[in-house]
Amino acid sequence: MDVRVPRLAEGVESATVANILVAPGDRIEKDQVILELETEKAVGPIPSPVSGEVSRIHVKPGDEVSVGQPLITLSESGAAATAPAPEAKPQPAAQAKSVRPAAAPEPARAAPQAAGEYRYQSAAGAPPPAAPSVRKIAGELGIDLTRVKGSERGGRITIADLRSYIAALQQRPADGAPAAAPTAVAEEKHAPQAIDFSRWGPVEKKPITSVRRTIGQRMYESWHTIPHVTQFEDIDITNVTNLRKQYGPELAKKGKHLTLTPFVLKAVVAALKKYPIFNSSLDEATGEVVYKNYFHIGVAVDTEAGLIVPVLRDVDKKTLADLSQELNALVERTRKRKVSLDELQGGSFTISNQGGIGGGHFTPIINKPEVAILGIGRSSLKAAVKDGKIEARPILPLALSYDHRVVDGADAVRFIGELVGVLENFPEDLLKD
Amino acid sequence: MEPIKTDIVVVGAGPGGYAAAFYAADKGKKVILVEREKRLGGVCLNAGCIPSKALLHATHSMRDMEHSTERGVAFSKPKIDLDKLRGWKNSVIAKLTQGLAGLAERRGVEVMQGRGYFEDSRTLRVETSKGQKFVNYDQAIIAVGSRAALPAAFDLGNKRVMTSTEALELEEIPKNLLVVGAGYIGMELGTVYATLGSTVVVTEALPNILTGVDSDLARPVMRYAEKAFKEIRLNTKVAKMATSGKQIKVTFTVEGKAKEESYDRVLVCVGRVPNCKDLGLENTKAALDEKGFVKVNAQMQTGDPAIYAIGDVAGGALLAHKAMKEGRIAVESILGEYSTSENVVIPAVVFTDPEVAWCGLTEAEAKQKGIAVQVARFPWAASGRAITLDRPDGLTKFVIDAESERILGVGIVGVNAGELIGEGVLAMEMGATARDMAESVHPHPTLSETLMEAAEVFYGYPTDTFVQKKRTPLP
Repeated sequence: MDVRVPRLAEGVESATVANILVAPGDRIEKDQVILELETEKAVGPIPSPVSGEVSRIHVKPGDEVSVGQPLITLSESGAAATAPAPEAKPQPAAQAKSVRPAAAPEPARAAPQAAGEYRYQSAAGAPPPAAPSVRKIAGELGIDLTRVKGSERGGRITIADLRSYIAALQQRPADGAPAAAPTAVAEEKHAPQAIDFSRWGPVEKKPITSVRRTIGQRMYESWHTIPHVTQFEDIDITNVTNLRKQYGPELAKKGKHLTLTPFVLKAVVAALKKYPIFNSSLDEATGEVVYKNYFHIGVAVDTEAGLIVPVLRDVDKKTLADLSQELNALVERTRKRKVSLDELQGGSFTISNQGGIGGGHFTPIINKPEVAILGIGRSSLKAAVKDGKIEARPILPLALSYDHRVVDGADAVRFIGELVGVLENFPEDLLKD
Repeated sequence: MEPIKTDIVVVGAGPGGYAAAFYAADKGKKVILVEREKRLGGVCLNAGCIPSKALLHATHSMRDMEHSTERGVAFSKPKIDLDKLRGWKNSVIAKLTQGLAGLAERRGVEVMQGRGYFEDSRTLRVETSKGQKFVNYDQAIIAVGSRAALPAAFDLGNKRVMTSTEALELEEIPKNLLVVGAGYIGMELGTVYATLGSTVVVTEALPNILTGVDSDLARPVMRYAEKAFKEIRLNTKVAKMATSGKQIKVTFTVEGKAKEESYDRVLVCVGRVPNCKDLGLENTKAALDEKGFVKVNAQMQTGDPAIYAIGDVAGGALLAHKAMKEGRIAVESILGEYSTSENVVIPAVVFTDPEVAWCGLTEAEAKQKGIAVQVARFPWAASGRAITLDRPDGLTKFVIDAESERILGVGIVGVNAGELIGEGVLAMEMGATARDMAESVHPHPTLSETLMEAAEVFYGYPTDTFVQKKRTPLP
């Protein structure tokens, strides 16, 4: 049987093969990890649905694979293959049953293949059949011919097949995972001429990782499709600082470390509840604004591989202490690249806290399809006027970037005003466990 | 001294080098072509493909006339005027190399005669007869080729021990000739000398002649060689050579035992080595691979982004047409066009009697790699044209992907196989299936029909032979 790419996560249709942990001839057990796929922002292990012997491996590290594509072929557990026929006879149904349900999900195979899902395969390792002239055009456009279905004998790709593939790509929305290809085409097209930097001194070249590539594509798309405005504000967090001093030590005894971020998360939820437009998405296809009645907040995490944004679910329903603990664990898992794909999806708003490493005001880029993002700098003692007197007070720089198609400047001022209000007078009962 | 500025400098004017230089010039680049020898064309024109094919043609006529007696047309025994034969061969070379010089001039390619040496990643020093010149380039293409290997143990400083270069000079027809190495060069030149009258012994360390060629394709060549040569010794190593008067004393090792024989001349054809030394590559970032060839990527670019390498010096198959294609790939890459050496079908031809030609996947490779293929063979004994030529000793075969029916490899042995393989290359480059080949009408009676018929064999319906097993049509 073939082990195929399982359903990865909502909206994730493709992945890159990161590591292959088995070799042809290996005997593997059910649930043994056979390879790792790098998907969107995490590396996920793919366990084998059955035991058996690896007879073929269809992919190599670096290959991009789609849901339903075969990864390896297993000859099922010795018995099935070598057992004498009479023994197998009485229970063929049972045998089939015991194997089939465990196999990789069928739906992907049953579903009609969309243009982007087709993959040319050749047991002989031959390239997709296409005339040199067609290959050249595809190369110039940065199109991978293994994705183009040929209409002629033996699957040969004609120039007409290539044209209809390009047309199909252009019809697809710019949003969503499978649409990575058109951007790739555009990027290849506009690829700057290679500059030889070694003319001016020694250089070192390293390939970019798929995480980096994803970040690049996401940022580029957000920056180019959303009219960004960033609103700056300074907040006096004396009150929050005092609360942390007051409740911190006690919570620390329970192993819960009270950082600033949970306070901001709670304040953000309060502001989102009051101004729901900030908790929405713009459906560009229908021209509707989708308001979300849940509060899943993405938290930007700085990892070795680059920026990754895991999502904290139902921030409104959790206590400050629990949020603190959950956040620390999530950040830890993200840094170790152990975060699951589902944990990277479904955010309704994002915060990016640079305070841990420094930083003042900056202009964060919106995590599309969300409509706003809050950037937090490092709090520091600054001269503030309190009751007519100049006092040194801890001031936190904030920056709110919003999608001006959906949100206006006045909304942003009101939203930040609410944030300031909550953080300067943080409701103490939220700290009670 | 003020350096000469140019867009592209090509080092070496063999087929790869001149093809690259001409193409770059045609695309509007300012090009300097540096060549160490007085004449353009490299080994191919001056001491390889062209002179060997001229001699093979002359000797082929001799063999053909000999067989003609059996067909009722007898010729008198041919007289060989060695000076005239050599002169004709040299005139062929002269015609072609002069042609190249003219083509370079018309394109405005500046030819600089001298040895090239890289001073750094942007500067080539050329030692010309009028002193040193410095060429400052944007991109360099290294196409300095390879030379016949002559292991130190055989290098006696005696002209009776020859490589292919000296053998093609045709200084004399030795009475006894030993050819060391039964690869394509040894087999081709052994054929030339045997026809001219030498008693030829071919010795090969490996168990087969023409290593790498499918055994069914090599068989007719072996059959010919068994008749034409005094002996073909396989699994035999040459341990030692020594000058012995006007002869060379050769010590063989056969099955662990030493054996001594004397020959008037010895032709050493044990491979070729790249001309990477004394190029100043160490002054650039270009690197060599473990076999001593210049390492390149699919765009023929070396480790130094400004320097490309093509042809023999870049390794792989040491063939002129491969070098020419790589020259174009390098130029296109320099021009910023999409171009790659990946999946390019490079045919190979051995100009023995009969010729052997193939492209793509060989049957042996498919077996070795465990690729499931079907092989369809059409023996020339069933070809009308082959029989009228009195050469039924041929075979045309396809290696086919059973699932898609795509042609993965083509192999031909027989007279003019080298001319026939071009169609196989086109079929493969176009991604043709056996059906495409079977349905293309081929003119009768020609040898090209054997390609169509071999494809028909795959389906089980060839006209001129019978196949029991019919293939189920694809859905």
